[in-house]
Amino acid sequence: MPSASPLLQLEHVSRRLAGRQVVDDVTFSVARGEVLGLLGVNGAGKSTTLAMIAGVLAPDEGTVKLDGRDLHDRSVRARIGYLPENVPLWPELTVHEYLDACGRLRGMDRAARKRSIDRELLRLDLSGMADRLGGQLSLGQKRRLGLAQALLHDPELLVLDEPGNGLDPVQTTQLRELIRTLSESRATIISTHVLSEVEAMCDRVVILHEGQVRFDAPLAQDRGALDRAFLGVARGKAGTVA
Amino acid sequence: MFSIARLDLKRLCVRPFAWTLGAITLAVVAWLFLLGLNAFLAAQPKLAAEPGVLGYTDLVAAPHLLTFVQLSLLIAPLITMHAIAGERRAHTLPLLFAAGLAPARIVLGKFFAAISYLWLLLILIALLPLTLAHATSPDWGQFGAALLGCALCVAAFAAIGIACSAFASHPAVAAMAALLVVLVLTMLDAGARISGVQGGWLDYLALPTHLTPFMHGLVRSMDVIYFLLIIALSLALAARRLAAEKVRG
Repeated sequence: MPSASPLLQLEHVSRRLAGRQVVDDVTFSVARGEVLGLLGVNGAGKSTTLAMIAGVLAPDEGTVKLDGRDLHDRSVRARIGYLPENVPLWPELTVHEYLDACGRLRGMDRAARKRSIDRELLRLDLSGMADRLGGQLSLGQKRRLGLAQALLHDPELLVLDEPGNGLDPVQTTQLRELIRTLSESRATIISTHVLSEVEAMCDRVVILHEGQVRFDAPLAQDRGALDRAFLGVARGKAGTVA
Repeated sequence: MFSIARLDLKRLCVRPFAWTLGAITLAVVAWLFLLGLNAFLAAQPKLAAEPGVLGYTDLVAAPHLLTFVQLSLLIAPLITMHAIAGERRAHTLPLLFAAGLAPARIVLGKFFAAISYLWLLLILIALLPLTLAHATSPDWGQFGAALLGCALCVAAFAAIGIACSAFASHPAVAAMAALLVVLVLTMLDAGARISGVQGGWLDYLALPTHLTPFMHGLVRSMDVIYFLLIIALSLALAARRLAAEKVRG
């Protein structure tokens, strides 16, 4: 169950990239235990919004706060796990070395790294390939490894950019189950352009179009409204629905 | 910062490229050392007849270290080309930013990794003339100064390589740009030297002006400051470019 107080708050966040307004006055919040789906067609501004939440990009305007604290503080960023759309990977390192390096970058000590790596290898079914090079993994395995690095420091907020991209149906089902399990103890934001992914995993959905929030409502309330809103956006007829 | 340096060193260690480059460098430098030593031994009767002429350190050890600096014109750009341009292509920069690492720390970490590799090669290369120390009478002061000059010079090359890697979108472009910059710095005063003209700002900016005194055993603060300025300026530019990437996207 999502808690009442929001963990993450975006207020009037805007961002321009290459002379184009990619994110325009976006405001929403995410509570602990909640899975928020960020839905939109390609180029809607989903990845840019997630990059700002993860602290990878700085907003031009507006604020992104975690528990009321600004993201400039490294201790705040340590509470966020981020999986970008393109899995960040050093292909010459083995799975274990990669996770160990990610743990070091996050400032984890040796014992904590060992504990976390063992936990994530087991959780993401990567134990059998701990000594394989990252560059030799399949796309699905790379996605799981990317998810492992995002979870390594046990973040309170999990930010996943198109986590289902390139996965086969079995892997997609496993990923959905995993995200539902993970979200019980943390807030999760997932970006996607696939409506069925949102319906399968999320408690709430925000539809972004041309950088603006066009729909923001709990999923359970009215699935028909979500379908209509997203199709309206996809066909270029969307106004602000909620 | 040290986690970045450690990560980059680890990545260098598992790449055949760094080992191959190191092995080729050591082989070439060792071969040139033997040639230099042979020429020195052949000239011994003539040198012994003239009191006060140049000795082993001037004619063998210092030029041997200088050979490594000349090879570093190529090695440093090759080792640093992936530093930031490679991270950009592998989409791993967001991982570093998301971990809360400041651009300056990322750049410094990569610089430390690059100079660790280059200085390790320098130490191995410096061991060659030292193996003959018992049979000759090296000028330890001059040798130490030459070693310091070489260390500062290759560190400057590494810093320039990292700056070029921060600005380039592709590692190969970064390597070419770094090679161009270090070549320009090296040959800046070549025309003036050939025509016998000395002095002027070109002379001051040129790298040989500041490296040559070290080779003669002279450690001048202005030369040390020159190399430190190149390092600081290059790393500051790289950090600024990385910070702008976060702000501008």
